Amino acid sequence: MSAAVATAATESGPAQGGPRGRARSWPTGLRRGAVHASVFAALMLTWWGVTAASLIDPLFLPGPAAVWQAFVDANTCHPVNETSSRIVCGAQNYFLWEHLLASLQRIAIGVSAAVAFGVLLGFLMGTMRGFGMVLEPYLNFLRALPPLGYIGLLIVWFGIGDVSKIWLLFLAAFPPITMATIAGVRGIHASRIHAVESLGASRWQVLVHVVFPSTLPGVISGVRIAVGFAWTTVVAAELNNGIPGIGGLAYVAGTQLQTPLVIACIIVIGLAAIALDSALKLLGAVAVPWYGKAKA
Amino acid sequence: MTLASPRIVRTARAIARPAERNAMTFVDSPPAATADTPPITLAGVTKDFVTDSGDTVHAVAQVDLAIEPGEFVCIVGPSGCGKSTLMDMVAGFLPPTGGTVSVGERVVTAPGQDRGVVFQQPNLFPWMSVRHNVELGPRLRGVRARERRELAERFLTLVGLEQFMERRPYELSGGMQQRCQIARVLANDPEVILMDEPFGALDALTRERLQLELLEIWRQKRKTVIFITHSVDEAIFLGTRVLVMSARPGRVILDQPVHLAGPEAGSELRSLPEFVALRDKVSAAIYAAQNVHGATPVDH
Repeated sequence: MSAAVATAATESGPAQGGPRGRARSWPTGLRRGAVHASVFAALMLTWWGVTAASLIDPLFLPGPAAVWQAFVDANTCHPVNETSSRIVCGAQNYFLWEHLLASLQRIAIGVSAAVAFGVLLGFLMGTMRGFGMVLEPYLNFLRALPPLGYIGLLIVWFGIGDVSKIWLLFLAAFPPITMATIAGVRGIHASRIHAVESLGASRWQVLVHVVFPSTLPGVISGVRIAVGFAWTTVVAAELNNGIPGIGGLAYVAGTQLQTPLVIACIIVIGLAAIALDSALKLLGAVAVPWYGKAKA
Repeated sequence: MTLASPRIVRTARAIARPAERNAMTFVDSPPAATADTPPITLAGVTKDFVTDSGDTVHAVAQVDLAIEPGEFVCIVGPSGCGKSTLMDMVAGFLPPTGGTVSVGERVVTAPGQDRGVVFQQPNLFPWMSVRHNVELGPRLRGVRARERRELAERFLTLVGLEQFMERRPYELSGGMQQRCQIARVLANDPEVILMDEPFGALDALTRERLQLELLEIWRQKRKTVIFITHSVDEAIFLGTRVLVMSARPGRVILDQPVHLAGPEAGSELRSLPEFVALRDKVSAAIYAAQNVHGATPVDH
């Protein structure tokens, strides 16, 4: 008996250091994944518990199952209700993914125009001191404005349809891109310019071979900021005549007290924002692999 | 003003001609045009800066200097004596307040391909591979792709980086980056080479190795070199002539020819009594320079 205890004790000896040892030998990614998964599970469980116990009126907070059902319904054709044989497709005459696509399309057009214009303006303002000095206060003014503050004016000018929304996104997105480009141009170390000049570069060659690539990391982070800003703006701008549009759907669903659909939209909006930003971050890592690695 | 001893200049030229031809025949221009490296002349050069508070600082005061073709001129002096400012004016990065800098017959007004500059920081472009960095100068002049590839390979081999041509600069050590910068300047075939503390940021061992490599390269090419350094030892080891500048406003207070650099000499030079004597002389001059405008006169 005592021998058995002794054996057990010696066997548990290394095992005592085991949990820590084992935890350390786990790949860090796996450990982090496990932490995230358990926090997420706890959150969902709380949500489910609170709603299942009827602590909150489902009109204010529906349960996870209802939200999931709303999400599925918004992406499929289904009967209007259990007793009816009438079939409707999606929500507000479009599938949810079509609403999402409509919003993304607005962003794509508005931000593309903002990148083209913003980068060009940033280069001009960054390289020509006088020009930059004159325009900078106006750029700051525009950047400081909440875009929804001037949507009214844009509706007067361009109507209530897509054109005013795209203008809004363009005006919201180009100032941060221009700012980042200016900062990138002005932040180039003088010796970098001197190095290429003493290799015999003309003014134009300095721009093409050194100024532009040096500015690229700044431009890319400017675009990331602009896209994030444009996303919040488009969702809000779709409060007015925003169908199809994910923000419009969230708003209209709310006015019709379809809380599960509102929450499904919110989750989709958030996930789409994260996906957009991750895609841009990846693009940045591919386009400027030297960023953060190279000195001066 | 003392110029380098005629004997040195003569030997320099005697060695320069054949070596130059051999090394340079691959360059697109005819060898005769590149074999000569022009003199550098500074006539009454001064430089004043106006500080933010509105004061005028005299950085360089009245420098007259004639640098012969093929000389290796090292400039030493206390910190802030204006030696880098002087070099920036030769490179064309800064206009002089007074006087003129000329390279050959031309007055310097802007940076140019004729004056290659090696900086203290490697200044390599991280968006290009090591090879593309070295190809950049010829590329700016429109040299065809195959030719400039050969140039880059040749000069990267010269500095011992042939294994690293396709790497990015930030994947190399500090010493290797500095070698790459030197290859980039050499591949661009400048008439004169200006070096601003190129080995200042390196560890002692790397620094000594690069000094030897630089001497070897200079012996092959015999380009005129201006080399700024903090290290008296480095100046005497590399230079055919050492200039000591005074504290601000900088002027040349010692112009010392160096006769040591025989064609076969290596690190053992440093233990020669002549080397030690020169080092003491130059150090004393720098020490004196620091006190020129101080309250206490130098006590000899």
